[in-house]
Amino acid sequence: MKLMIVDDSKIIRSRIARIMADATLPAIEIVGFAANGNDAISLFKATHPQVVTMDLTMPEMDGVECTTLLTELDSNVKILIISALSDKATAIQALKNGAEGFLYKPFTDAELINALLELIEE
Amino acid sequence: MSDLSEKDIEVFIEAIGSYFKQITQEAASIGVAYLAANAFPMNDFTGMIKVSADYEGALYFSAPSAMLRHLLTVMKETNQSEENLLDAVGEIANTISGNARKYFGENMVISIPEKVSGLTSKLDHQSRRHAYVIIIKWKHYSASLIVDISRIR
Repeated sequence: MKLMIVDDSKIIRSRIARIMADATLPAIEIVGFAANGNDAISLFKATHPQVVTMDLTMPEMDGVECTTLLTELDSNVKILIISALSDKATAIQALKNGAEGFLYKPFTDAELINALLELIEE
Repeated sequence: MSDLSEKDIEVFIEAIGSYFKQITQEAASIGVAYLAANAFPMNDFTGMIKVSADYEGALYFSAPSAMLRHLLTVMKETNQSEENLLDAVGEIANTISGNARKYFGENMVISIPEKVSGLTSKLDHQSRRHAYVIIIKWKHYSASLIVDISRIR
């Protein structure tokens, strides 16, 4: 299963990739990283990932808008929002726009792995 | 314009405490918040989040480079370039302000982080006459969280 990581923080992008590598999840292959919604759309079209981890607060295009556009491009894509925005309204909005899971920052390695496994197994 | 209450400030204290606990598996010691008009305890690197809508002002997380390097090590990040240290303070400020929205709600709109090195002890666009200062001690390092936020609606 191909995974794209979208977050404006380089250390968060690296951390997610490292957790995936350490966990040796057999079915997941990281196909690329994007630091904003615009880059994510381009990368998505080029690599066709089935799973995306998506930050919300990003420059140029935020994660909610990007989630909407990605699900328009591929209604089967599974998007896990990973964000510090902890208010209920934001989570509801993201889920309405096509995301299937929500993980709050800060997160532990185990929380990320469990959230991704849940998403994939759905 | 109304002042933030003690309960409001507690939200930021809980958020920074929770960040260190979650990321390092080790509690940080969080000092009692105090008010300062100037001479803010800025460190090597500072992340700033501006707030808007029902609130105005900004939140600052400022930390020494040694503390940030140690945090990156805990996160197994081997690239400890200045770019990544700046990224770290920005991400911490972003996480604290984002977590605080659980309490303040969506009407506290937060910006993407601005990250600066070598900030002076004066704030450029201070919103409050006196801003709250919270000192965080983790291992032998000391960082600061400055809450210069006012409720305007």
